[in-house]
Amino acid sequence: MTTTIKEQNGEIVAFFEGSLDTAAAQKTEKDIQPLLTADKNIVLNCEKLEYISSSGLRIILQILKAAKPRGLHVSATGMNKDILKVFTLTGFNNLLELK
Amino acid sequence: MPYTLTLHNNVQEASLLAPFIETIATENGLDHSLTMELNLAVEEAVVNVMEYAYPQGETGEVTIEVSVADGLLDINIIDSGAPFDPTQKSDPDTSLPVEERSIGGLGIFLVRQVMDTVSYRRDDGKNILTFTKNIKM
Repeated sequence: MTTTIKEQNGEIVAFFEGSLDTAAAQKTEKDIQPLLTADKNIVLNCEKLEYISSSGLRIILQILKAAKPRGLHVSATGMNKDILKVFTLTGFNNLLELK
Repeated sequence: MPYTLTLHNNVQEASLLAPFIETIATENGLDHSLTMELNLAVEEAVVNVMEYAYPQGETGEVTIEVSVADGLLDINIIDSGAPFDPTQKSDPDTSLPVEERSIGGLGIFLVRQVMDTVSYRRDDGKNILTFTKNIKM
């Protein structure tokens, strides 16, 4: 699992690649630290994300909880249908904009 | 014979789950979505055991048995930790906004969502969580 963070068009984009599972969670939690102090809107690029479990959702929630009080918009792009299902089952589809 | 994998209560060993499930999927021709659901259910149940079944600092094991027969996936998650019935856990409220969401509680809920049946028994000092899914096309 790799996470790459870039600034693009005035937004902060996190590119997730691989499986965001329990084994990858600890490293990913470190990798997303810049998002927790961001001052720009956040895009989670999920085009190459293959899998997510509740350990991954926990990290998404951390990002959302940090962004909300700072008034930042968080969206996710390119989710495959299996990952979208996990978001829908847990109501996470209502917590951020899915594009 | 069921497929069997035994891990220690160390979440880093959870990385061995995906290749184990992948082997089962390949040998039984499970499609991508079904494989993902099986992976998810097993990971959530196993990680729950790794995190909570044994006292902190104590080494314990969790065994995963998966059998595929007659269009049914049958999974047992077995540990020798403290008695715990995850089927008694109430569902999290998935309609809450970000501010009110708590960080945990989604694991066993997801198992219930993607499997057809989930049941628990305590037998001979072991917790046995069983879940099944009909895979007839």
